[in-house]
Amino acid sequence: MFVLKGVGASPGVAIGPAVILPGDSFAVTRQYVDPSEVKAELSKMKTAMDKTMRELDSCEKKVLATLGQEYAQLMSTHKLILQDPSLHDSVRKKIKDEHLSAQAAIFLTLQELAASFDKIEDPFFKERRNDVFDVGKRLAKNLEADKGEFLASIKKPSILIAHTLYPSDTINLQENQVLGFCTDIGGKTSHTAILAQSLKMPAVVGLSSAAKQVQKDDTVIVDGDNGLLIINPDRYTLANYKKIQRENKKAEALLKTINHLPVITQDGHPLKLFVNYDPRTDTKENKKLITDGLGLLRTEFLFMNTPTPPSEEDQHRMYLAVAKRFDMRPATIRLADLGGDKMPQFPLDEFDQEQNPFMGCRGVRLLLKNPELLHTQLRAILHTACEVPAQIRIMIPMVSSVEEVRHVRNAYNQALQELEQEGKKPVNKVALGAMIEVPAAAMALDGMIGLLDFISIGTNDLIQYLIAVDRVNQEVAHMYDPCHPAVIRTLNLIIQTAHKRGKKVSICGELASDAKMLPLLLGLEVDALSVTPRMFLRVKNNIRNLNFETCSDMAQAALLMGSSEEIRSLIEQNKNEDS
Amino acid sequence: MIKKDIKISNRLGLHARPAAMIAQKAGEFSCDVKLSKDDVEVNAKSIMGVMMLAAEYGSTVCITTDGEDERQAADAIAELFNNKFNEEF
Repeated sequence: MFVLKGVGASPGVAIGPAVILPGDSFAVTRQYVDPSEVKAELSKMKTAMDKTMRELDSCEKKVLATLGQEYAQLMSTHKLILQDPSLHDSVRKKIKDEHLSAQAAIFLTLQELAASFDKIEDPFFKERRNDVFDVGKRLAKNLEADKGEFLASIKKPSILIAHTLYPSDTINLQENQVLGFCTDIGGKTSHTAILAQSLKMPAVVGLSSAAKQVQKDDTVIVDGDNGLLIINPDRYTLANYKKIQRENKKAEALLKTINHLPVITQDGHPLKLFVNYDPRTDTKENKKLITDGLGLLRTEFLFMNTPTPPSEEDQHRMYLAVAKRFDMRPATIRLADLGGDKMPQFPLDEFDQEQNPFMGCRGVRLLLKNPELLHTQLRAILHTACEVPAQIRIMIPMVSSVEEVRHVRNAYNQALQELEQEGKKPVNKVALGAMIEVPAAAMALDGMIGLLDFISIGTNDLIQYLIAVDRVNQEVAHMYDPCHPAVIRTLNLIIQTAHKRGKKVSICGELASDAKMLPLLLGLEVDALSVTPRMFLRVKNNIRNLNFETCSDMAQAALLMGSSEEIRSLIEQNKNEDS
Repeated sequence: MIKKDIKISNRLGLHARPAAMIAQKAGEFSCDVKLSKDDVEVNAKSIMGVMMLAAEYGSTVCITTDGEDERQAADAIAELFNNKFNEEF
């Protein structure tokens, strides 16, 4: 038996045989292939090369149009590297003669090339190895595009072990016999984790070396509550976890009995509880939940994996289905938060590779630079509001200044006018709000609140930006700390500023379903929470067991504290008193 | 087989762009095209090979062509060098 400690990304226990996902660019998980697979590996290689060539082609065209001939030449250099016979020959030879996997062949070839470049003394020439690596990485990335195929080949219920999983991979897991998964990379708030929660799939991330330590068909236990991966458990441990699995099932059944009860604290303080909704993972069970509405519809998925942006009609159809699903309850649709780790395939302005994409052109910034995207989406949403008596709300992502809000407000008004000229008018007024996730927007909220109908706090990004911690960087991920005094004070500032102007504040993001943080959020007088369907009843149960007055006192005390340590012990203390 | 010595007269030497031009040009011919400097010989149709020569300003490289269109290839490659890869005037 062997236990690896990571971060619990999605609660629950899953037990089963391990399958190992062929790895990410630079973590080769499968060194050799069977001689009978050589042909398949070669054709995989060919497909990846063709795809890389097409990418470089379109990149070159774009560079040519924006930066000119001089820079476009750099891309043609990359194309030549890709076509270079010494690269081809070496990779083909390694696959054919040594039966290496395509991935391993590329990796080794790159290593050899790098070694040759390293021998060069002139630093100017040495630098060129970076060009070679750039192309190599692209190639390796395109080679792993076959994940879908791999997942489809899983025949029995299994636990997936991967170096890293992208949100787009995660979405395909459930239909592919995956009971739970583990990854080496990633944190609790990565989008992969969030998707796992909505799929109700136990998951542990940030394990560093699981992909290397687990063998295919090892029996493994994923303990999503404690962030553990147990490899080849002994009999006692296995029995123990099976018992936990049964108990979890019972607890879940118990939670269902509170579905029809109001969301209210013991001392009568009401709260709205919304659900974050993803139409791709909606289930019968989710539909049974009695919620106050849709707190966050992420629309990025409409823009991903498509060669062209979705048309107004396409979007409209989708939004209409969502509006109908939530009937007369509020349905909050967030404008596409593209950029960062969500890169569409179709070309966009201001969309070159960025050094620091999370601080780059994403969310509203990207939309304002691509006004046709913004316009189409606004029209599609407003059009929906003309056809059903729903309470549709539009949320702007990544706002950092009042000017941005004003621009979107103008675009909103323009779209509204156009529809009116076409004889269409929203049945109910469509509210326009902002996601507050940039510290600047929190600090200067008083300047923009007048233009907003509501606000929602995106805690994942807010904390990340506030503490300057990249939540997927393992070196600093532990510093991502919701108990940091700066976080509590900023939340307080946002809520108080909004309340002064009579605007409601909701919190969406991981923090909203964190049982330990819940009393603080309530005490800070947040009006609504939005959580995943998976967490919905648990959060509701937790709220119903809290006392608002105690929460208030606690929040006031926390606001006076200067360290996370103090705040954390305050929370723990409160928890102990409760039980 | 044709051998031709040529001195590198562009300031930056055979960096990425000249290497790209050489590989591209060499690729247009069916004959073998090799470049050598000191003891190192590389395939001129390989951009990485050419870059790895790390041939700097003032050094001498040898062009070797062998095959049907060896004459045209040698001339075309030499011309690139003589034109300093269009980078200095």
